[in-house]
Amino acid sequence: MPYHEFECSKCIPERIKHAVDKGKDENLSDALPLGYLNTIPGTLSERGCAYCGAKHVIGTPMKDVIHLSHGPIGCTYDTWQTKRYISDNDNFQIKYTFASDMKEKHIVFGAEKVLKNNILEAFKAFPKIKRMTIYQTCASALIGDDIKAISQEVMDEMPDVDIFVCNSPGFAGPSQSGGHHKINIAWVNDKVGQVEPTITSDFVINYVGEYNIQGDQQIMQDYFKRMGIQILSTFTGNGSYDDLRAMHRAKLNVLECARSAEYICDELRKRYGIPRMDIDGFGFKSLSGSLRKIGLFFGIEDRAEAIIEEETKRWKPELDWYAARLKGKKICLWPGGSKLWHWAHVIHEEMGLEVVSVYTKFGHQGDMEKGVSRCEVGALAIDDPNELECIEAMYKLKPDVIVTGKRPGEVAKKIRVPYVNVHAYNNGPYKGFEGWVRLARDLYNAIYSPIHQLAFVDISKDEIETDKGFMTRQMFSDTQLDESIVNSKEMHEYTGEFDSLKRLRDREYPQYPMKGKQAAV
Amino acid sequence: MPCELKEKERTGVINPIFTCQPAGAQYASIGIKDCIGIVHGGQGCVMFVRLWFSQHYKESFELASSSLHEDAAVFGGVHRVEEAVDVLLMRYPDVKIVPIITTCSTEVIGDDVDGVVTKLNEGLLKEKYAGREVHLIPIHTPSFKGSHVTGYDVAVEEIIKHFAKKDKAAKKLNLLTGWQNPGDVRTLKHLLTEMDVEANVIFDIEEFDAPLMPDGNHVAHGSTTMEDLENTGSAIGTIALNRYEVGKAAQYLENEFDIPTVIGPSPIGIRNTDTFLENVKKLTGKSIPASLVKERGIAIDAITDVAHMFLADKRVAIYGHPDLVIGLAEFCLDLEMKPVLLLLGDDNTKYGEDSRIKALQENVDYDMEIVTNADLWDLGDRLQNKGLKLDLILGHSKGRFIAMDNKVPLVRVGFPVFDRAGYHREATVGYEGAMLLAEKMANVWFTDMEYTQNKEWLLNMW
Repeated sequence: MPYHEFECSKCIPERIKHAVDKGKDENLSDALPLGYLNTIPGTLSERGCAYCGAKHVIGTPMKDVIHLSHGPIGCTYDTWQTKRYISDNDNFQIKYTFASDMKEKHIVFGAEKVLKNNILEAFKAFPKIKRMTIYQTCASALIGDDIKAISQEVMDEMPDVDIFVCNSPGFAGPSQSGGHHKINIAWVNDKVGQVEPTITSDFVINYVGEYNIQGDQQIMQDYFKRMGIQILSTFTGNGSYDDLRAMHRAKLNVLECARSAEYICDELRKRYGIPRMDIDGFGFKSLSGSLRKIGLFFGIEDRAEAIIEEETKRWKPELDWYAARLKGKKICLWPGGSKLWHWAHVIHEEMGLEVVSVYTKFGHQGDMEKGVSRCEVGALAIDDPNELECIEAMYKLKPDVIVTGKRPGEVAKKIRVPYVNVHAYNNGPYKGFEGWVRLARDLYNAIYSPIHQLAFVDISKDEIETDKGFMTRQMFSDTQLDESIVNSKEMHEYTGEFDSLKRLRDREYPQYPMKGKQAAV
Repeated sequence: MPCELKEKERTGVINPIFTCQPAGAQYASIGIKDCIGIVHGGQGCVMFVRLWFSQHYKESFELASSSLHEDAAVFGGVHRVEEAVDVLLMRYPDVKIVPIITTCSTEVIGDDVDGVVTKLNEGLLKEKYAGREVHLIPIHTPSFKGSHVTGYDVAVEEIIKHFAKKDKAAKKLNLLTGWQNPGDVRTLKHLLTEMDVEANVIFDIEEFDAPLMPDGNHVAHGSTTMEDLENTGSAIGTIALNRYEVGKAAQYLENEFDIPTVIGPSPIGIRNTDTFLENVKKLTGKSIPASLVKERGIAIDAITDVAHMFLADKRVAIYGHPDLVIGLAEFCLDLEMKPVLLLLGDDNTKYGEDSRIKALQENVDYDMEIVTNADLWDLGDRLQNKGLKLDLILGHSKGRFIAMDNKVPLVRVGFPVFDRAGYHREATVGYEGAMLLAEKMANVWFTDMEYTQNKEWLLNMW
């Protein structure tokens, strides 16, 4: 059997089916770890809850919405200022968070009245914001407050406001994934179809499963606009509430994170006949393929090709500079869910990294299926990893870098493995052609950091090199390189700006006249 | 009355200053050696609190979850605690202390955590872990009561109650620090060493600032041992620095073991540090040495350089933990500044009886407001719509946007500070802390002068 038994988990035999070593010529059906099962208590699993899956991952990136959690302050406070989902409306959704501040008396006597007060106060505090999402929490779910009824009451009294209710308490499912599902379905059930959009293009899409971490959405939006495509809505990064109520009028759903948002795409297909197209904004090859696919769907391949050519020409020499220096370095690809398969093959093909391990905190078996099939033979795949297993894996695999979240990254740091944050990113955005170079740059900077090298020196035992006042990254990375690479005139380091979104802000886009006006409605 | 104590007028909270009780209990748990707390609730209650700590410290701390899922929410989840304890003990052979921390969900469904601890003590621990010393400590911290400040207070009391013993050989001075940074603990230890006092620091979190070493794994954790906790019951005296964070535990030790006890003040500023040393002197009979006279002199010298020339009459708002906020307000007054707005993040009804707040009410000669159950939106609203004028804000990183959007410089102090590097290493207590705070306020003000061209030429010579 290809199952991987961790020393530290021998005492919990049910863990064994959650990790596999990808063997040579092995059939995926043998080597697929279990996924999305209940967490074993006390393991120090890295999973979050269904409330955060709904509120923190999917709900809050919506930019023009008051995000109110109905419960004690903790859920709101704890999920606030822990991510980087920015927006083009001055980051309202990052700056402000709302809690109904449920106290003991409300637990006993109910908190519906206090919720109503909260809603009214919040709209009063921000008179320009007319949209609200209310998130249920463990406490409000257990006492059984009817949030929808209260919301309806307010909407009846205030016709200019609209409220969306997401009933996804923390305990609803084994991980945050339960919350992704709940908010997807709630949105399509309760809100889609309520607004009729203005159609300005023959090519109209919803961009789904994209959360605008450090501007990812804005990067992709730039490509779509250059192709003359109208983005009706983005679910949900930098997305607008009312735009998302008009999702039913798109001709195509372009789906990025299939883990968190395939549900709504599948529902939109079923209910409104809108096809789902899975794409991939990470990596030159995948991104080019994605843009081509969309172009093909609408019959505008030439526009896609023009972008691919321009962007590749501009950024490929920089990617290649890093790829030459990352070649053969071992990486643990340890994201939350979908990046495990979005990245598994492209970081190998385009950056030369060897993926020695993949894991997923909240992915399902389908994610593992894609991830395991795309990563290198010999890689260790782990479902619902816990802290001891990760430490054991890092000692065994000796990766040169791991990509993971902030806190697990601190664990890696202590055993002298540099990490790059792939939830919130180090210096993103990482989507787009330029973004992919930015990721390569961040990985290079992590691996070849002179300070990182010093961390291995034990001054009490090792010989100290007293003739060196400094080292540069290139003094480490270029020693083993072929001269033709070192002296290459084509390849060079990243030349973009600290803020790569800046140049997009005032960009003018080509105007393509519409052909089939009536067809759009 | 120029100084008014009142509750926030709105029902809800926009941009909270505080989080909930279980987070406070978790902060207590990580201060103890060979201890991993299990939080009985949804996984987010742990995952995000671990993230919160790691944002402040850039370190990871060990905490476990009972991973409450839907079935447990419906049918009860005590079996999840049983399984969690077993799994944790099997895989972490050094763990001896396991606080079991409840949350809103498990308190609402009424899981009998005390009952399950008895059951585990009688069953699992005797049968499977015979010969291993394990302490399971139920800590009730429903999220809908109090805040992380009271959660910490409750947890410290429960932990002390569990361990404190009367006739231990070690006769030390208990120093219950409250919610501090490693820099504070180091400074407090230093003051006591100078006084030649052997202290039992609860919790000794200096090692939260963990090194990156060329060998082995160095997970950040506190260094307070089981023995230290037992010794608290045999101490020659107790000083509890932060009334709202360790007052309960100090009171318990006084009542149960007749230990002479002083609760407060937090040694923030010169005057409160003087009081602290005087209290140490009274409880131990040790005198204050010349070295501290000198250290105090250096601090006063440094503060004199910035106080009346630059800081005088600067209007400040302060938010955060109650003992910190009150201590900072007192220190600001000594610096001739004007704390005009104090925001306390919970609805503790005892604030009105606090002698320090009463003293402010009796003596402040300008308009000051102290708001309880406060939130950060209130601060922004006063600045934007109610004519509040401020020169500085003192508080933690969660207020960064309110400060930036209103163009008032924010001096980061308190918990969490995640948008500045290394602040946990710097003290806010003691003479050193007083000096650093005054200089930090001045430096933040100087930078603001430069970037807003507000008499930036003033520092052309100094």
